[in-house]
Amino acid sequence: MPAIETVDLRKTYGDGEALVHAVDGIGITVEKGEFVAIIGPSGSGKSTLLNLLGCLDLPSEGHVFIDSADTSQLSQGQLTRLRREKIGFVFQEFNLLPVLNALENIELPLRYLKVHSRDRELRAREALVQVGLENRARNRPSQMSGGERQRVAIARALVTRPALVLADEPTGELDTANTCLVIEIMRRLNDELQQTFAVVTHDPMVAAYARRVISLRDGKVISDAPQEATPVACD
Amino acid sequence: MAKYILRNMWRRKARTFLTIFGIVVGILALTVLGGLSARLNQQVQGAKSWFTSSISVVPSGGSLFGGGQDRFFNVSKVSEVEAVPGVKSASAAIGVLLSESQSFSFGAPDLLIGLSLDGSTELLNKLALSEGRYLKPGDRDKVVLGSALAEKNNATVGGTVDLRGKTFEVVGILKATLSAPDNFAFVPYDDALPVFLQVNPFFQQNTRIASVIYAIWDPGANPEVVGARIARQVKGVKVITPAEAQKQISQFSLIFNAILFGIAFIALVVGGLSIINTMVMSVSERTREIGLKKAIGAGTNSILLEYLLESATIGLIGGLLGTGIGLVIIELLNSATATKQIRVFTITTLVVIGPIVFATVLGTLAGVFPALRAARLRPVESLKEE
Repeated sequence: MPAIETVDLRKTYGDGEALVHAVDGIGITVEKGEFVAIIGPSGSGKSTLLNLLGCLDLPSEGHVFIDSADTSQLSQGQLTRLRREKIGFVFQEFNLLPVLNALENIELPLRYLKVHSRDRELRAREALVQVGLENRARNRPSQMSGGERQRVAIARALVTRPALVLADEPTGELDTANTCLVIEIMRRLNDELQQTFAVVTHDPMVAAYARRVISLRDGKVISDAPQEATPVACD
Repeated sequence: MAKYILRNMWRRKARTFLTIFGIVVGILALTVLGGLSARLNQQVQGAKSWFTSSISVVPSGGSLFGGGQDRFFNVSKVSEVEAVPGVKSASAAIGVLLSESQSFSFGAPDLLIGLSLDGSTELLNKLALSEGRYLKPGDRDKVVLGSALAEKNNATVGGTVDLRGKTFEVVGILKATLSAPDNFAFVPYDDALPVFLQVNPFFQQNTRIASVIYAIWDPGANPEVVGARIARQVKGVKVITPAEAQKQISQFSLIFNAILFGIAFIALVVGGLSIINTMVMSVSERTREIGLKKAIGAGTNSILLEYLLESATIGLIGGLLGTGIGLVIIELLNSATATKQIRVFTITTLVVIGPIVFATVLGTLAGVFPALRAARLRPVESLKEE
């Protein structure tokens, strides 16, 4: 069963002369447990596509199926629940709430899932261990480095064990060492928990670690091919 | 959640402080005026029970609160009033200010009231005794003191007290009513008249005059009917029945309560707008955070609740501080005037709880618009916001 399926997906902005086809008829299928990189130059529509896949944005035309459910049939409230239960997000920057410490940030999605507070802390700590930041639990984002912040954001995306993790330029602001660390964590979780990853990136190094690369240009898929993923080996 | 809301408020310390300060000022004014209003209402209530316990007959043109210095009638009117069917007894009264220089005071002034003793027992009966006895016919140089006056003069039953240069034996002290009669000294009419004539030397020395005649109605009789009958049968008088008295007194508190409402309204508008302003700014500053929360599964209601609680908290803190400071001011003012036996403010449950609830409700209502704005943000657009 596919984790994601899109049918003739379109997103347009503006109208008349200024009409922009950000996503222009995309039909892709991502199976469960896949690790897909979505690449392309700026303006190719990769972020828009990711937002559509995550139901953060509504398509102008076409359909997005998550776990075979047609999201165009869902109400705002149902979309919220879908995001809460099935999808984890990692964004390029400004990932964390500044007034919460690392642990509290990770707990947040569990809070929205109405998980009991004791359970919440336990699971958040576990996720923090997975990203190797157990000693940063009480630190606020402003007290952490960019790499650490992004790892906390990944822990937050994973703490609910979502079937699907969507990452938008997760390493865009990171140096090589931290990029490697972040990829390593994502790949490990993909291997161990069979979570589906779709990662938007323009970093060839990140794309090299994916098992499938979808390349976009002007809102259209120009290539979509599996590849032998580079083994992750960080120094 | 509470911790989170406080931390969010703390992010903009200066702005949060200023907003709260605005609420504090409004609520402070509301509390202090509330205390004043409570005191006034208490006095009005006390005055009501005193003035509605009898039918007041005053010279025509006079009012409940005295007929004016030059409007008096002869005590012979007492028997005319007493002759009216339905009137059980009537007593003449004459009032003299106790202090020569009392210009302004809250509530009733200290008053020496001379009562003709024949019909007075039933009148005084309306006021409960704390100790001692009432005046009785034949008494001379005796006084029954209101509680505040007794306290002021350190008077005890059996002791003496000097009023307007004359020495009286204290035979009774009334229970506190927290209103006008507390400042009254009831003495026999014959003792009060010389004092009155001495203060008002332009009256002929041998006239027996009264400023008010208090009429008690027969048990079972309708005071309004009896009052109307007095007005018909006795010439040159104005009759103030209990219902009329109540109306006159109520007008008193009406004005003050209107002022209180005015202050509350200003506090409402100013405080409400400043909370709305602050919250709208907070929402726009945190647009991206709201987008992020929605992306990771926050529902509309949880965002709505978060911002409503934040603005309610601003209101609550402002209310608590404002009321607290207001109560301290009331206490300070009350203790500053305590030596003069004047209590300007009364603290009631309503005075304390009212402004706090008011501020919290205000905060919540002011938060509705910003919170709705926050809750309705679309995740993808919010996340793009710089």
